[in-house]
Amino acid sequence: MIGDGIRIEVLRAGRDGVRLGVVAPPEVAVHRKEIYDQIREANERAASRPFDLGEIARRLRHRA
Amino acid sequence: MTRARTRGSLAERQAPALEIPPRISRDMIRFPHGLPGFERCRGFVLMASEALGPLQCLKAVEGPEASFLVVDPRRLLADYRCQLTDADRIRLGAADGDPLLWLALITIELDGTITANLRAPIVINPSTMLGHQVVPHACVYPLRHVVVGGTAAGE
Repeated sequence: MIGDGIRIEVLRAGRDGVRLGVVAPPEVAVHRKEIYDQIREANERAASRPFDLGEIARRLRHRA
Repeated sequence: MTRARTRGSLAERQAPALEIPPRISRDMIRFPHGLPGFERCRGFVLMASEALGPLQCLKAVEGPEASFLVVDPRRLLADYRCQLTDADRIRLGAADGDPLLWLALITIELDGTITANLRAPIVINPSTMLGHQVVPHACVYPLRHVVVGGTAAGE
């Protein structure tokens, strides 16, 4: 148990490794770190590009 | 250079200026956990303008400076569907049937390609003014859905 209501369970243990499960209350977010990192990187890319809003709006309208 | 300027990620330093006079929604949307990579950005406003067409600008007004271009993912894929978990609904204070606002973050890639992150959409519950970025366990949509031009393929 970790704190209130967070439980680590061994789902399977074998020669090739151990598969763990995390049981947590619904208000606690449980993410695989690599997925969270992927989204964090995407967010940073999204926020980092300088852009010309008018130009982008024009290109989008063109597309539609 | 001040400490504030040296602190923070590249993204925070290069937040773009909105040049078009926006029709600003003055109501702040609270993101109690921020966004991945922007965990300290806890309050955002959504700005729209006629000139921006389908795009809107999601700008942090609490925490570090950050702004994102966003678009309703259903304007890109009409049948876009993303499943919310109970945890997502609790974070949004959303009851079943509450109309939710979905937004995909837009990225201008280095080659000028405009992509939209359909994998991890931002969801806002207008009735609670709570927002949250969905971090899906399994999702069929790409992180980089090509919206316009360039040579980059979807991821």
